[in-house]
Amino acid sequence: MSTTSDDRSAGGIAAPAGDRGGILEVFKREPVALAAFTIVIFSMPLWIPVLGGYEGLATLIVIWGIFVLGFDILLGFTGYLSFGHAAFFGGAAYVTGFMYRDVSDNVIVAFVASQVGTLILAVVIGLLAMRRTGIYFSILTLAFAEMLFAAALSIFAPLTGGYDGMTRLQEPNLFGVKMDGLTIFYIAAAMLAIGYAMALRLRNSPFGVMLRAIKENPMRLEYTGINVWRYKMAAFIISAHYAGVAGFLMVTYEPYVATKFLHWSTSGEVVIMSVIGGVGTLVGPIIGAGFVLYFQNVVQAVIGEQWRLILGLVFVFVVAFLPGGFVDLARMVWKATGNRLRARRHNVPDMELTETKYGTEERLR
Amino acid sequence: MNDLFLTVLAGLQIGAIYAMLALGLTLIFGTLGVVNFAHGALYVIAIYAAVQVAINVDFTVALIVVPLFLFVVGVVFERGVIRFFYDRPHTDQILVTFGLAIVVEEVAKWLFGANNIPFPRPDWGDGVIIFYGPGAVIPPVPVFQEAPQLWLPFIDGFVTFDYWRIILIGVTIVAVSVLFYLLQFTRFGLIVRAGMRDSDMVQFLGINIARRFAMVVGLGAAIAGVAGLFGGPILGVTPDQGMKLLVPSFLVVVIGGMGSLAGAVLAAVIIGLSLAFTADNPDIQAVIIYLIAVVVLLFRPRGLLGRKGVFE
Repeated sequence: MSTTSDDRSAGGIAAPAGDRGGILEVFKREPVALAAFTIVIFSMPLWIPVLGGYEGLATLIVIWGIFVLGFDILLGFTGYLSFGHAAFFGGAAYVTGFMYRDVSDNVIVAFVASQVGTLILAVVIGLLAMRRTGIYFSILTLAFAEMLFAAALSIFAPLTGGYDGMTRLQEPNLFGVKMDGLTIFYIAAAMLAIGYAMALRLRNSPFGVMLRAIKENPMRLEYTGINVWRYKMAAFIISAHYAGVAGFLMVTYEPYVATKFLHWSTSGEVVIMSVIGGVGTLVGPIIGAGFVLYFQNVVQAVIGEQWRLILGLVFVFVVAFLPGGFVDLARMVWKATGNRLRARRHNVPDMELTETKYGTEERLR
Repeated sequence: MNDLFLTVLAGLQIGAIYAMLALGLTLIFGTLGVVNFAHGALYVIAIYAAVQVAINVDFTVALIVVPLFLFVVGVVFERGVIRFFYDRPHTDQILVTFGLAIVVEEVAKWLFGANNIPFPRPDWGDGVIIFYGPGAVIPPVPVFQEAPQLWLPFIDGFVTFDYWRIILIGVTIVAVSVLFYLLQFTRFGLIVRAGMRDSDMVQFLGINIARRFAMVVGLGAAIAGVAGLFGGPILGVTPDQGMKLLVPSFLVVVIGGMGSLAGAVLAAVIIGLSLAFTADNPDIQAVIIYLIAVVVLLFRPRGLLGRKGVFE
């Protein structure tokens, strides 16, 4: 990476705008990917019923898609495995629910409030959990999310409704327009498309390169005089906001806040979706979300109670034998059928572990 | 004084199960560097194995069979799964053990249902224990007369406590002592501790460290087996017990310091006592362990007894 972009990004965590076309840049760089993505997402209510799904499933997939997209910015780009993302999803859901119940039924008010709540949560949890890396980080995020879950059921029970969740919310609306059926779907789908475009832009920005550098070798980055902490924190907060938006949409779609939104199983589900789909590929986790939700809602009707068991087995299989997830599988199939893969953009050459007679070695691919 | 004594006992009992699970976790982590998200699943296997043997055969048989069975499960788990993940990133190790935890929980749900299976206590562990002080008169009721009794100088009158919970505390002390003995005073322990420092070097010296490590996982699993055997009758037998206990056990490990056995025991006692002393106030009790974790990690990021440079 050149020194000029180093200087630019060292000055501020935001991606430098203006000189290369800002946010619109991505439309020039990845036009096909983005257009295809948008078409597939927006047409989902048309093709999901063909596969045995229903309209609501499309909405759920889109909402969880936003959630996992943000998760991928943290895990896929930066290499931090959070086991507590339910904190942001559920936190935003509770704030949204509180807004609908006690303050206003306007979605914009609830949206702003939920994002403020997410920001506060992300800063507090980030300051504490980001002190450590790797496994410590996973355990700490899990602990903080569980703490929030426990608090919601005890200290804040008068506010959150305890084990019953938040019920009797006003029907959310946007200046009179009810948020039901396809309306909320298209709003969520638009947010997913925007979120996807932002994530693509992020990946190709100097900021994104910094995040990947953190994943590769944070110490080396620190030695070059870069404030690694600031980049990590920014990635964490951005990732939390995606989760927050998803939480807000979830309650707007179905005006009810379940305690499950804060439970660790929600965090676990996001992890499963991301890994099955393919960590770090942006599209992969969304496919993973679709797969898991399809399994949960459609395949369950066919195979019954054991769907979670089968999903767990699929997950273990993917972790063990297919670390790149479905996207990697698609790549392999693509390669095996005689096509050439487009080179992936990387700041370091692709290394792979090679068995030699002297043991494993890192070699250029 | 009586209340204080009972609260401390309650705290030790809560801490006992956490201590046994956390010891296994920290042992596996310290030797293999693997965070075992499936440790709760080992506990689940233990409670179901224990309850089946106890109902169909006898609890005394379960006492021997279950820890041995769990030892085998642990060894198979290491040889069959973890072994292939030593060279993979930490996140992959977390993910695969997490996946296995889900699979075990779902298999348990499938085979035995999601509802609690009543776990009968053996006759010798039923009833209460009586602690009595100077000049106490124990009522001439058969229930009290036949119960085990213990004289303690500081008790005013007499108090009763669930006998099984006292047994649990005692078993934990024995299990922890045996583990410490194994690791500190035997050749096996010496090799394992050396392997914790530098496993490559130990291997160069001609020692089959892989076999020792498999046994370490087996040991960790066996302690989880003991925890399930004695914890099952108190906490219940449901498939989600594993995950319920896993999070506090992780916190115990983190508070005590990753890889530190003494730290795990110390932290388990602290957590247990703090839960017992806040029992009057459920709101505080619900979050107290997380608060302790936050405070400890703010002031001692490596945990209470954590050493520098352990997998950082």
